[in-house]
Amino acid sequence: MSSSREPSPIGGPADGLAAVTALRAMADRLEDAEVERALRAGWSWSQVAEALGVTRQAVHKKHLRRLLMAQIQLRRRAGE
Amino acid sequence: MNKLLGVQRLLVTWEIGSSALQFEIEAKRDGAKSIEAEHMLLALTANRDTDAAKLLEEFGLDHERLTSALREEKNRTLAFAGMKAPDEKLVEATELDCSLSLGTSAKAAIKRALIGSRHDRRRARLRSIDLLAGILEAELGTVPRALAIAGIDRAALSSRARMSA
Repeated sequence: MSSSREPSPIGGPADGLAAVTALRAMADRLEDAEVERALRAGWSWSQVAEALGVTRQAVHKKHLRRLLMAQIQLRRRAGE
Repeated sequence: MNKLLGVQRLLVTWEIGSSALQFEIEAKRDGAKSIEAEHMLLALTANRDTDAAKLLEEFGLDHERLTSALREEKNRTLAFAGMKAPDEKLVEATELDCSLSLGTSAKAAIKRALIGSRHDRRRARLRSIDLLAGILEAELGTVPRALAIAGIDRAALSSRARMSA
């Protein structure tokens, strides 16, 4: 058993902490893909934000530049 | 180049220079948002002419085996949380066409590489073997996990890298 000074990189808390990092990275990639998919399907920024439970400004700030590059026909607001 | 490494006034050798662009290629291939230590390690194995790649090969680590070890680490880690790696098609998205910055583990590896180098720090010159030592000296995180899973003696490899540096 490793001492608390030199914990093993495998097993114990290391596995759980590594899982946190891996899940965050996976969630980030999934968010990029799903936001793009929704906007390609004609969703507005507001609808995407509501579905994600964040503000429109937040989702806009995080994804706009990337999605402009994807040349998606973006809607400004729901219903427009 | 120095901007990519995020270290001002850092002199780098040609072998690191030739690997630096590969850092970003490996990170993007992994779908990462920043360059981490594992991407730098993969990049070091991609250029087989470097001292780092030669030492890694002595320990049986080429690009293919390291890629496989990192994949296995990711699968095991996700399995711990009852998940599995998603189909690549599911997470395919348009990439932002800009340079990735260095992540925490990459910056820490560079810092260790320079601190542990026998060279005069005022004229620090980062070589592939220094960087390899800096990467291997991390006790926790993705790289030590992947190497442990692959059955690589990280301590021995690290010590050899530091002796050669």
